[in-house]
Amino acid sequence: MTMLLHRMIEEAADRRPEATAIRCDEESLSYEALARQAHGLAHLLLETGLERRDRVAVLLNKSLEVPVSFYGVLAAGGTLVPIDPRSPADRVAQILRATQATHLVSETKKDKLVEAALAGCPDIGHVIGVEAESDQAYRNHSWDAVAALASDRPPEVPITDLDPSYILHTSGSTGVPKLILHTHRSAMSFVDWAVAEYSLTAEDRLSNHSSHHTCFATFDYYASAAVGATTVILTPSVLMMPASLSTRIEEEGISVWYSVPAALIQLSLRGNLETRNLDSLRWILFAGETFPDKHLRQLMDQIPSARFSHVYGSTEVNVCSYYHLPEDGDFVVPLPIGRPCANATVEVVDEDLQSVSRGGVGEFLVRGSTVMSGYWGEPERNRVVLVRRPTAGDLEEIYFRTGDRGRVLEDGNLTFVARADLQVKVRGHRVELGEVETALLSLESVEEAAAFTVPDGEGSSSLRAAVVTTVPAESRSKEIQAALKGKLPMHAVPTSIAVLDRLPRTATGKVDRRALQTHLETEDAPRHE
Amino acid sequence: MSEEIPVVSEQEIAQPILEFIRLELLGPGDTIDMHDDLLSGELLDSLGVLRLSTFVEERFRIRIQPTDFVVENFQNVEVLSRFVLRAVGARNGALVDAGD
Repeated sequence: MTMLLHRMIEEAADRRPEATAIRCDEESLSYEALARQAHGLAHLLLETGLERRDRVAVLLNKSLEVPVSFYGVLAAGGTLVPIDPRSPADRVAQILRATQATHLVSETKKDKLVEAALAGCPDIGHVIGVEAESDQAYRNHSWDAVAALASDRPPEVPITDLDPSYILHTSGSTGVPKLILHTHRSAMSFVDWAVAEYSLTAEDRLSNHSSHHTCFATFDYYASAAVGATTVILTPSVLMMPASLSTRIEEEGISVWYSVPAALIQLSLRGNLETRNLDSLRWILFAGETFPDKHLRQLMDQIPSARFSHVYGSTEVNVCSYYHLPEDGDFVVPLPIGRPCANATVEVVDEDLQSVSRGGVGEFLVRGSTVMSGYWGEPERNRVVLVRRPTAGDLEEIYFRTGDRGRVLEDGNLTFVARADLQVKVRGHRVELGEVETALLSLESVEEAAAFTVPDGEGSSSLRAAVVTTVPAESRSKEIQAALKGKLPMHAVPTSIAVLDRLPRTATGKVDRRALQTHLETEDAPRHE
Repeated sequence: MSEEIPVVSEQEIAQPILEFIRLELLGPGDTIDMHDDLLSGELLDSLGVLRLSTFVEERFRIRIQPTDFVVENFQNVEVLSRFVLRAVGARNGALVDAGD
């Protein structure tokens, strides 16, 4: 058993070289081919001056080159920095500068984005995968150059399990991305837990729904490699078309799925599931948002072969708790986030980091081997979120402050209440946005819901919401407001509710509240002819 | 393609779709033609695809069924126009006022 991420594909290639490691549309890579190509990239990186722990950014659309890049960077002893391929140039540049990356792996399709982003990034000396006529301030290397160095043998470089493995960036809500550093050990600890908990085997076929820069991809790629299973990369075209997605799941025989609920809701509502045979699915994992119970129950009926697992965590801690839904579908609402994983402790504390009495609401603190090393380049923030608590022997233990609030239920399961930062003040009243969303989702006609605030121009905030409804034209904002008045205090009823076709979402599929705020402010503006 | 008498041509459908994508959905400097992949994730995101389908429904007065949300109908403007033409034909065979 290895303690290093990239050794997993080497071991899998030794055991079953011909087994399929990756599928992407019509293309495949065996473990042998994946290892050979990854080693080719590792050799190229080292030949072009990469040193242990140097950062290598990966800016790629979903393709076979994504896993080749992941394992290539790790095998060279580098620190992987996957970047959201939909990022604008200034965001890419911001991440490259902040991580002081020396190499960038990309593709010719992204040539304009790469050129624009690199204009202000003097640290980047080498770009791999972008065909260019001449070198610029950096040297270009083609994928052919990588292939020419392909080898069964990995480079011999010293790497330990406490070396950095990757830096993930969060997307969306604030202007500046958080850069989250993990080690081989923190990632492997999550992988080991996932392999055991979901009994993964070489026969499994794991979906890759999310982009490669998210923590969901950690499961999709690495947990699969640990057992020599296949990862099926789902490209945007099928993900945008639920009826095509369900066909793909059937054709590929996907057995383990992991995504945000939004993708599964679309599959349930528009995936034409009654005409598909999805019996290959044995585990469906979801995380990141509330799964409205009416949709969850429907999906459980539609895919009776699958067990469902609600997992909880964040990019900072991987997964730290899980709740397997009862097979008879008799689950409680709101859905618990379950018990801490075997490699994690979750405590509920008050503002002074003191444990609250059982059943009381507080912030979740997480300790365990899956927790990140810290935010890259942010000592101040790290001091705030990675807190030290005394323990026996005059020693201290490090806990991560999640910013999530919840409590322990009577049966010992944890339940999530709200994000601490989703608690807003509206005209002096404290409102949990999650509670408003739950109330909206409890209405028969509401399919998806998001609550958020916008400045009211008078120094306070006004509460708004956006919904997607099952009854298009009839379901008017006023009716929904009226229905909410029976469920929430007056100050927690949104002053206006927009009925949309779909909610904007971030790269991981979470509701993008910032985009909603901007979008609806624009909608409100008087239209100029 | 259906053999019914076409009520509008594919071209008449494609033009407003291309115009809508250019004006409403693309970023500055992006271009689009009939064969560009709408579902690559490069040009449009999932919300963009939804806005496009809403535009098509309103503009051509058709209803796109869940089962029609497949790659084959949305991959590019050419196949989308062909799909819309079939849907318009199937609706009632009446003249579509594509100019409103």
